[in-house]
Amino acid sequence: MGDLLFNLTDWMRGTVLLDWAFWMQETAFSLFMVENFWNVPIAQAIHILAIGAAFGSVLMVVLRVNGMAGAGLTFEQTAARFVPWVRWGLLVIVLSGLSMIMAEPVRNMINAVFWIKMIALIVMVLVSLSWIKSIRASAEAAGVGYVGAGGAKATGWLIMALWCLIIVCGRWIAYVPV
Amino acid sequence: MYYPEPTTIWESIQYSPLGIFIAESTWAFPTIETIHVIALVTVLGTIFVMDLRLLGVASKNYPITSMSRDTLKWTWGGFVLAAITGTLLYISKTSSYMINPFFMGKMVLLAIAGLNMAYFHFVTWKTVANWDTSPVVPTGAKVAGITSLIFWITIVFFGRAIGFTLGIYDCYMVGQGDDGFIVSMLAGIACAGA
Repeated sequence: MGDLLFNLTDWMRGTVLLDWAFWMQETAFSLFMVENFWNVPIAQAIHILAIGAAFGSVLMVVLRVNGMAGAGLTFEQTAARFVPWVRWGLLVIVLSGLSMIMAEPVRNMINAVFWIKMIALIVMVLVSLSWIKSIRASAEAAGVGYVGAGGAKATGWLIMALWCLIIVCGRWIAYVPV
Repeated sequence: MYYPEPTTIWESIQYSPLGIFIAESTWAFPTIETIHVIALVTVLGTIFVMDLRLLGVASKNYPITSMSRDTLKWTWGGFVLAAITGTLLYISKTSSYMINPFFMGKMVLLAIAGLNMAYFHFVTWKTVANWDTSPVVPTGAKVAGITSLIFWITIVFFGRAIGFTLGIYDCYMVGQGDDGFIVSMLAGIACAGA
C-alpha cells in the first residue's frame, strides 16, 4: 500500500501538477499563509470545527432515517434543520481547505492521498445528494412515522463511512511516504 | 534504540514499552491520531447540535429532552474514544506534552467544559420539564450552551496548536529566566527531578 501510494506520488512529480504547485507557491495568498506562524494552525482549527458541524448534522439525518433520532419529526423537518448546516459546513471546509492547500501546495498537490481524499469527497457529495433526493420522494407520505427502507438506512451509514474515509485521508496526507 | 534512564515520572511513562512502541512505530501514532479526529468531530458535532438548541438558534420546536436523548450517547461514546486515543498519543511523548502550554491549557479547558456540562445536567436540568418544549430556555441553560461552544472551539484550536509547538519547549531550554510565567510554572511540573 505504501509502495503503491509512493509510486503514484512519484508519477505526479512528473506531471503538470508540479508546475501548478510551484505557481501556487509564489502567489500573494500563499506567501501570506506562511508568513505568520499561526495562519496554518488557525485554518486547520476552522477546518476541523466545520467538519464537526457538518459531520454531526449528517449523523443526525442518518440517525433519523434509521429511526434512531428525531422522533416525532418528519424527514423533511429533520432535513430542513440539518442539511443547510452540511452545505454551509462544506463551504467552510472547502475554503479553509483551499487556504491550507495554498499554504503548502507541493505537500498537497504532489500527494496520492490528497487526490484520493478529493475523489472520496466528490463521491460522498454525489451519493449524499442522490440519497436525500430519493428519500424525499418516498418519505413525504409516511409523515412523522417515516423510517427508511433497508437500502436507505445502509446508504446513510455508507455516507458516514465516506466522511470517515475523507478524515483518514486528511490525516494521512501528513504521514504517507512521498 | 537507546533510551536514557528516566529522571522524571513523565519520562518513565514515555519510556514504557507502550510509549516507546507508539513513538517508534511508523503507523501507530498516525492511526491513533486519525481515530482521535473521528472521535472528536463526533463529540463536536453532537455538542453543537445540543448547544444550538439551548441557545434557541436551531431546532426550536424540538423538545430538549428528545435532543439530549438523540445526541448525548454519541457525545459520550465519542468522548470516551477521544480520551483513550488521546491518552495513547500522550504516553508516546509525555515529557514534551507536559511542558507544552497548549496541551496543559487544553486539559484545563476540558476540565472546565466538563464542570459546565455537569452543572447543567445536575442542576439546570432539574427544571427541564418546565421548558422542554419551549423555544425559549432559562438563562442558565443558555449560559451553558454558549459557554460550551466557546470552550470547545478553544479546545480545538489548542489541540491543533499542540501539533505545531510540540518540541519547542524543552527542559533544557526553559528556566533561563526569560520565559513567561506559564512556561516557567509548567517547567516546574514537567522538569522536576531532571
